[in-house]
Amino acid sequence: MTVYITRRILEGFVTLVALSFVVFGSVHLTGDPARFLLPISNDHDEAVYEAQKKAYGLDKPFIVQYANFLYKGVQLDFGNSFTARRPVRDILLERIPATVHLALAGMVLAIVIGVPLGIVSAVKRDTILDKVCKTFAIFGMAAPQFWVAIMLIIILAGYLDLLPAFGRGDMTGWFPTWSQIPNMIHHLILPAFVLSLAIIAAIMRLARSAMLEVLDSDYVKFAQVKGMSDRVVIWKHAARNALIPVITYGGISLAGLLNGSVVVEVVFAWPGVGLMLLEGVLSNNFPQVEGAIMVSGAAYILTALIVDILYGYADPRVRPN
Amino acid sequence: MASDNAILVADDRTPASLRRRIQEARLPWVPITILAVILFCAIFANLVAPHDPRENDVINKLQPPFQSADHILGTDRLGKDMLSRLIYGARTMLQVTAPSMVVAILAGTVVGLVSGYSGRWVDSVLMRITDAVLGFPSILVALLIVTYLGTGVWNVMIAIAATQWARFARMIRGEVLAIRDRDFVVLAQIYGVSSGMIVWRHLFPNVINTLMVLTSVSVGQVILLEASLSFLGLGLRPGDPAWGILVAEGREFLTQAWWIALFPGILITVVVMAFNYFGDWLRDYLDPRLRRAG
Repeated sequence: MTVYITRRILEGFVTLVALSFVVFGSVHLTGDPARFLLPISNDHDEAVYEAQKKAYGLDKPFIVQYANFLYKGVQLDFGNSFTARRPVRDILLERIPATVHLALAGMVLAIVIGVPLGIVSAVKRDTILDKVCKTFAIFGMAAPQFWVAIMLIIILAGYLDLLPAFGRGDMTGWFPTWSQIPNMIHHLILPAFVLSLAIIAAIMRLARSAMLEVLDSDYVKFAQVKGMSDRVVIWKHAARNALIPVITYGGISLAGLLNGSVVVEVVFAWPGVGLMLLEGVLSNNFPQVEGAIMVSGAAYILTALIVDILYGYADPRVRPN
Repeated sequence: MASDNAILVADDRTPASLRRRIQEARLPWVPITILAVILFCAIFANLVAPHDPRENDVINKLQPPFQSADHILGTDRLGKDMLSRLIYGARTMLQVTAPSMVVAILAGTVVGLVSGYSGRWVDSVLMRITDAVLGFPSILVALLIVTYLGTGVWNVMIAIAATQWARFARMIRGEVLAIRDRDFVVLAQIYGVSSGMIVWRHLFPNVINTLMVLTSVSVGQVILLEASLSFLGLGLRPGDPAWGILVAEGREFLTQAWWIALFPGILITVVVMAFNYFGDWLRDYLDPRLRRAG
């Protein structure tokens, strides 16, 4: 187990270094970083250009610059955002909680909706309910997130006026006060649902096929023959075993949720890292893009790492040797 | 289309046996019809579309759908005909996704074949890179590429190709590993056939099935990625006929003009569904072993 964990941590570390190299290297590959890093308005001023070059250490050798980037990156120091005119680090610290909240809410929804529906549609196989669930799953995997989001906004926020169309409400930071919680959940429902739609569909399909397999097994049939009530057999005996693949998949998709949120954050004007990333991309705001991508990437690698290690504990077969 | 190839694999090609094979294959006619119609619209957009998709008709702006025969699906804020924009949108989708898919498939196949056949350090290096690309969500990699290369159709195509090749490389490598120690390959080696020839004549034909299945399963994802990038404003310019851009424009008129966002979204969903259905069918038809892999 120790070997497995060490190897997995090492792999994660290598991927992270590779990502940092790509992020840092692409500025150098595509042109003069000193010009890139310069706000466009000052582009023509050579004195500013030279000063900037020195200030950012861009006159030093590539490898020194890279080491410097890594050293600062660890401290979330990516320089100043061009548009906001303040450190990227401050923006990141503001934005990270929003993205984490959204991803967690999406995960909760995916499990709360996906697992029971999958189990029920396996138990009630080939009924109307099963067919409705199946159609929903097919739709969830094919419909583009941004479009579902807009349609739900039109219907639920526009015509019915049930849910807010955008934003986090008056929430900032990690922890809401008691009075903020209802408002926070109110704002989370729509974006979290859209974010998790594809995962709800996937979890539903997984849970359904795993459940079908388990329901067909001898021990479930034996429990039924023994005269145990359907409810006990299904939820206690069968569902527990059917959930193993679902949990694995759920863990991996949480890592994806942290990043799949760019589109959702844009549609719902959700003040998270994904929105920050797109704002940076559209305004050539390189420090902001570097910061957002490095943080998202690191979060992704870390989540995948934790999931793999937990999975190694849960299922000895995935460990090598 | 790929479905024709699948049928023509038949040994005897008499019309009767072909007909029987088509019946036995239980072709998914609904998705095939949908895709054929969309493909027809994409290729002959200039003949099918009732209007020029860029033609403004300000008098009839924001006209709701099903109100006049001239603009069946309504008009946008400048009076552009929605139906025509949707039809040209199909062409845009084809123009963006097809070339990038081709590049991704070619690159992925070459990497997969080379990696699987040569083994050793070449395999290790190539697979580490493949894993790194696969390890990140496509949209993040695409955003990174667009940031440094700038927005535009070409760069979106590069971004799509750059994120999609890895899946092909992984899959093809796995297939190659499974067959490279089989007798016919080993005998060819003993006979002194060059490595390039072995890969091309003996390995490649054996991965074509996998390649076709993976392609049809991936197309849906690629269309979604392309639509998302267009929606985010990273591809074509606003005003161009692309489904993702239409949804983005509709977003500004949520309650006044719901139809601008509704129709392109339905089209994307239907096309992706059709491809997913078709891909599932092709996978079951060509290679039931792959059922688990998807």
